[in-house]
Amino acid sequence: MTGLRLTLTGICHAYRDLTVLDGIDLTVEPGEVTVLVGPSGCGKSTLLGIAGGLLQPSAGRVAVDGDIPDDCLNPLTYVFQDFALLPWRSVADNIALVLGKCPNPAARVAEVLALTGLTEFADAWPKQLSGGMRQRVGIARALAVRPACLLMDEPLSALDAQTRDLLLEEFSAIVARAGTTTLYVTHNLAEAVRLGQQIVVLSRRPGRVREIVRIDRPLTGRTARDPDLVAMEEHLWRTIRDDAAAAERERIDGKA
Amino acid sequence: MKIFAAVLLNLALVLPACLSPAQAADPLRLGLLHTLSPAPFYMAQHSGYFREAGIDLTFRFFDAAQPIAAAAVSGDLDVGVTALTGGFFNLAEKGTLKVIGGGLHEQRGYEGSAILASNQAYDAGLTGMEKLGGRSFGITQYGSSFHYMIGRIAEAKGFDLKTVTLRPLQQVSNMVAAVGSGQVDATIAIASQAKALVAAKQAHILGWAGDVVPYQLTAVFAPTATIDGKTDVLQRFAKAYQRGVADYRAAFLRLDAQGRPIADANTDAAIKAIVEYVFVGDPDARTKILAGVGYYDEGAALDVADVVAQIVWFKAQGLVKGDADPKSILDTRFLPTR
Amino acid sequence: MARLDGPVRFRGGGFAPRDNRWASAGTLLGLVGLWQMAASAGLIKSLFLPPPIAIGAALWQLIVSGVLWQHLSASLVRLAWGWTSGTFFGIGMGLAVGLWSACRSPGMAVVAALFPIPKIALVPLFIVWFGIGEGSKIATLAFGVFFPTVIATAGAVDNVPRGLIRMGQSFGLSTAAIVRTIVLPGALPAILSGFRVTSSIAIVLLVAAEMIGAEQGIGAFVLSAGNLYDTDNLLAGIVVLSLLGLLVAWAIGQLERALLAWR
Repeated sequence: MTGLRLTLTGICHAYRDLTVLDGIDLTVEPGEVTVLVGPSGCGKSTLLGIAGGLLQPSAGRVAVDGDIPDDCLNPLTYVFQDFALLPWRSVADNIALVLGKCPNPAARVAEVLALTGLTEFADAWPKQLSGGMRQRVGIARALAVRPACLLMDEPLSALDAQTRDLLLEEFSAIVARAGTTTLYVTHNLAEAVRLGQQIVVLSRRPGRVREIVRIDRPLTGRTARDPDLVAMEEHLWRTIRDDAAAAERERIDGKA
Repeated sequence: MKIFAAVLLNLALVLPACLSPAQAADPLRLGLLHTLSPAPFYMAQHSGYFREAGIDLTFRFFDAAQPIAAAAVSGDLDVGVTALTGGFFNLAEKGTLKVIGGGLHEQRGYEGSAILASNQAYDAGLTGMEKLGGRSFGITQYGSSFHYMIGRIAEAKGFDLKTVTLRPLQQVSNMVAAVGSGQVDATIAIASQAKALVAAKQAHILGWAGDVVPYQLTAVFAPTATIDGKTDVLQRFAKAYQRGVADYRAAFLRLDAQGRPIADANTDAAIKAIVEYVFVGDPDARTKILAGVGYYDEGAALDVADVVAQIVWFKAQGLVKGDADPKSILDTRFLPTR
Repeated sequence: MARLDGPVRFRGGGFAPRDNRWASAGTLLGLVGLWQMAASAGLIKSLFLPPPIAIGAALWQLIVSGVLWQHLSASLVRLAWGWTSGTFFGIGMGLAVGLWSACRSPGMAVVAALFPIPKIALVPLFIVWFGIGEGSKIATLAFGVFFPTVIATAGAVDNVPRGLIRMGQSFGLSTAAIVRTIVLPGALPAILSGFRVTSSIAIVLLVAAEMIGAEQGIGAFVLSAGNLYDTDNLLAGIVVLSLLGLLVAWAIGQLERALLAWR
């Protein structure tokens, strides 16, 4: 499959004397969804920030290779946990904001609004929308720039369980159709097994790659009650459980 | 120890008796500007004239003329000497203050207040008081004595005050600085300041206010509470004040055949008295006092005609309200009139 | 063992005071009425405090004679220039302080050192610098407005959610575009609240600014009336200043409603 390959080599990151990431090697294959899971505080989101150039690693490098579409405005594009919508712009204007270099922004906006079912909310303020609708705007905005790689930082964590399931279905359908390379961070293992072709398990801080699991089933056929996926989810939980328990009892600043 | 205490007690009992005459003196609070202008009061106090009149006079000094009248209204003063201004007349108009005698007077032949032109304006043709129309003129405030003086000069010299751009500058020091730096075309300053500015080549004197408008600049006033309640004390106060004015006139206001002031032993004695209150410890005190003394009428007489003219002028300008008879704010029972 | 029997007692509610326009207007009118009654009954001497009717009459006289408009227009021009220039430079400096480390500490040091200076004390200096005319008056107002604006703007920029700025960066927006489309609109609510403070400061400083050399102006009028012990006009002038303050506050409220509809 064509698309962008994202390669992370020897990534280390430290806040002052607190090591968060320690020598991460990771390849996000073109057209695949790679999911990063791990106990809280293991540096998943930090790694995602480094992957898209928003954070500077203390060591290591991030490289991309592959073709990008001609109409791509922003190859590495984020979807944020807190949506990061400008509250003073309408839904349509929030999307238009990132289309500065696009020859016909209005058409793009209309297209992605239709794709995410937001057409009738084009003129609404973000505060008038539910959390799920706001994240749909976030996804629409990301899709509007024709990304070569989506970087998704716990996009469903701020939503309630029902909304999460609905968005998960919509999103997996969109990704399955477009085949965009995706790096997806979550702490929710059910999300991981529903979306991931490659699941990377990080250890607790300092984060290292503990295990990489592959699920070679098409995204479209996966359901919540699929016994194989449930078994995989339980396997992941066993891997993470002790780390998660220890991480939860640890002081945030890393000192004893 | 006991003896020492007894001596102290004796001193405490005896001292006040030594300082005051036989019967207890009547306390009186006088409000005045802390400048040279109320010099006759300093001299009378120095010579003990108030004590001899059975008055224990306390000076209450002020930095500006207007608050003296306000303090008298609020009951903090028994008598005051201040500049006659629109603000004063507005307070007096309401029946709480009355003018009882004269103070400083602008007098022909005595250099009191000078009309000053800035160098720039002078070079541009402002060489006489009659050319002040259309110029900018520094005053302290609307309704101040300076406002009145330029108004009367306008009448006397035949230009329209409305064409003069009046610049309220709040303080006399600002007026002097503004004319010195050319920020205003002209202003009024007392002789000592005016001469200093001319000597520094920073301004030109166009003339003397006293030569154009003989003018009652300051006056002695009392609140009605004193006039009605302490009539007798006020009468004794007036007599003692007149003795101070007589000494002042003898010291500073005698002129020789050429019209120059005479300075003799009287003058030296007066300066010694004055420096107890102003220019304390100033090595140039003598020069400053001689340059700054103004004219007081004989017997501290009040220029009734001019005070009435002032009220009429302030009313015509809309600066003083009310329709009380000007004479009703005067009480001439205490001091002579001119 | 104790037994609980009966309905559960309501214990919530309260702590939610509500506004009542009529109550605020009524209170003010009631106080004025009380004042007038006390004056009419001779309890307050007009020398010490003129009755509301006398103040109203003075105000009416000022309006019909056109004098009020002369003073007010002179002051409004000064307010407009002084406030606008102070605000313009204040927002500029506040943005610089809020955005760039190179400006932050030096800028805030200057602001912290100069903000507490009473602007009235600087009036003589402004006269030497800007002359006795409009320059020194506008400078006094602008100077008074500048520092609170810097502080309000810098604080507002600090409070723009960093996540929104990261979002802008992640979509490749230029620094200028981020400042224009994210930082400024995000800081606008706090800047507008700053306007409420700075417009009041400007009106307060009007009296100081018009102290020296002003022939016209509502501040000069109030000062002059005070000097003349013309208490009717003094209070009429104060009423005008107060109404001006209310009007400006109302205008800023309207501006907020128009610009911040998204809140």
